[in-house]
Amino acid sequence: MPNEYQLMKDGALCQDEWIYADEEVGLSDAPSIISLSRLKAEADVLRARNAKLGVQLLADGNGKTKLGEDVQELEPYLDMLSLVSIAFPTYRNGRGFSAARVLREQFNFDGELRASGEVLHDQWAMMRRCGITAFELAPSVSLETFSDAMGELTDAYQPAADDQRGALWQRHK
Amino acid sequence: MYRYDEFDHQLVGERVKQFRGQVERRVSGELTEDAFKPLRLMNGVYLQLHAYMLRVAIPYGTLSSKQMRMQAHIARKYDRGYGHFTTRQNIQFNWPALDKIPDLLEELATVEMHAIQTSGNCIRNVTSDQYAAAIDGEIEDPRIISEIIRQWSTFHPEFTYLPRKFKIAVTGHDNDRAAIKLHDIGIVIKQNELGDVGYEIHVGGGQGRTPFIAKKMADFVPKAQLLAYLEAVMRVYNMLGRRDNSYKARIKIMVHETGEVEMRRLIEAEFAKIDASQMLAVPQAEIDRISAYFASPEFENLPATSATLDAAQAQDADFARWVRANVVAHKQHGYGIVNISLKPIGGVPGDATDVQMEAVADLAERYSFDEIRVTHEQNLVLPHIRLDDLKTVYDALNAHELATANLGLISDTIACPGLDYCNLANARSIPLAQEISERFADLDQQYDIGELKIKISGCINACGHHHVGHIGILGVDKKGTEFYQISLGGSADENASIGTITGRAFTEETIVDAIETVVTTYTDMRQTDERFIDTYRRVGLDPFKERLYAE
Repeated sequence: MPNEYQLMKDGALCQDEWIYADEEVGLSDAPSIISLSRLKAEADVLRARNAKLGVQLLADGNGKTKLGEDVQELEPYLDMLSLVSIAFPTYRNGRGFSAARVLREQFNFDGELRASGEVLHDQWAMMRRCGITAFELAPSVSLETFSDAMGELTDAYQPAADDQRGALWQRHK
Repeated sequence: MYRYDEFDHQLVGERVKQFRGQVERRVSGELTEDAFKPLRLMNGVYLQLHAYMLRVAIPYGTLSSKQMRMQAHIARKYDRGYGHFTTRQNIQFNWPALDKIPDLLEELATVEMHAIQTSGNCIRNVTSDQYAAAIDGEIEDPRIISEIIRQWSTFHPEFTYLPRKFKIAVTGHDNDRAAIKLHDIGIVIKQNELGDVGYEIHVGGGQGRTPFIAKKMADFVPKAQLLAYLEAVMRVYNMLGRRDNSYKARIKIMVHETGEVEMRRLIEAEFAKIDASQMLAVPQAEIDRISAYFASPEFENLPATSATLDAAQAQDADFARWVRANVVAHKQHGYGIVNISLKPIGGVPGDATDVQMEAVADLAERYSFDEIRVTHEQNLVLPHIRLDDLKTVYDALNAHELATANLGLISDTIACPGLDYCNLANARSIPLAQEISERFADLDQQYDIGELKIKISGCINACGHHHVGHIGILGVDKKGTEFYQISLGGSADENASIGTITGRAFTEETIVDAIETVVTTYTDMRQTDERFIDTYRRVGLDPFKERLYAE
């Protein structure tokens, strides 16, 4: 369960309509974020539910396995999902950057991609380039700090999941 | 040489500004050292034993005279008058003050240089062959694709927080001087039977505490698909590489644990998906633009031999010895490749003073088409010197104690900074390198011994490449005392191999004698003109062991 956060979405602070659902309790009609294991176990029931559904993808094995959850496992369920919350357990664990690009570029996922967990100032802009549109930020971060960080580097060298083509291509438009 | 355009300038400029903000927040106390650490690391700033250390990137080891003069200026203004050239073809400054580093980076940017991605768990500075575009038999100048890789990997949004650091090396020649099989990705430029140029890709090499030779993952990746292939390797690693233990997080461990066949399958599956979009095929116009910066210098048409050189060699035996050891044949008649040894007898391997750097810059400007190279063996190269100018260049180098004639010989050691600077080290490396070079100070004896690469690491992290030394020395700590372990038979070239440990370690007092025993064992057993490594491969470890541990 994430700590207290404020939601920065599409460049603005906003109210979070989503809740992280308790694993043990039945889902309400509120937009709910559940675990991958619950998604897999209850897929049939969830498919019949008439409310928005999201899933959280974990980047570490919680001490149980060496690896985190594999983004490829989401593919069969994408039509049910309006949101994927990608966990960054520490700023050092950058698995989620790849998960985001796979979702956007290979699965053409167009729902909300949000970053949860420990995310650094310097990482926001990179996350956006990988297709992440919403950020669960510490309450101390101001909109100004966030916007400044997003604008620190104007251009990029390489393409990613955003619309920047990258200098190697842009020089010869 | 590659020159920045407006785009490159803007990006580096913005990065300096960003880092200045970070340093200000650190100095004011707004950022704790913990929070500052990942930011400074991404800009090449390490916290060492005594001070912050700054590592400046020298892409694929190529420098202009102006860039070299800037290193001299930085050494004088921000450091203690010297810099240290590293095994990654970079330069390190050991004593800059943190609050002055943004100014330093700003000055560096004026000569199109930076410290981006010289540390941290990201794609590091790309390294290459120091003889690029000067040596005969090259398929293509490896710096062209190295520059494309440099740009693609700079601030890569997906691959900046990898499980561990990631190093890429490129060679365009069958004789590998870039140690490509000891890199996370090693690239060999190849030509197929149709005459097309492409890339052979090796993945999962590395040193550190668990050394591995890279596995060949692809025989021939066509030019237009290289970045897609690299992105596939990186993505497979970023998604499936281990993060639970930093000692098991390099891609070499993943290749080892996953198995070569499964690893290849994973990479190829990802490659097929990425390549399908064609998004990473660099436009030919851009490849042409970058290639133009590496166009061959306008060499003169000269005879293959030089009477001036022959006469000078006949007159001056020291010069003749230097030519024999340090000058390598150039692809162009009438030119030579000059190696400048940064391993003076009794000196610190890889160090150069501000004055020495300026002297090298002057020579490059006047005699070598303004080009200087840094080698992963911690020496410098003037790649294009006319044979007629060799004596003049030698005299100028000699005046600055830069004419040690020991390239590839026993005193041309690689050594990490060791316990004198590094907070990871168990033992000192530099004083040992100095003692060894003093023991074998006699150059005639060194020639007689022939090619022999000694590499010294002060700890198991292997920054001194001891695993691939013909003779490798590893500093170990036993109950607070420094010991040195010897390994034999390592090699970093196209026949790369990992050395084998001889047995129990030696003390500070006995290690240099032990090295001498290894050398004598070799000279006693070698056949005519047989190099140390070849003798070792013929006779194996046992004869060396017997002599080393005889009571």
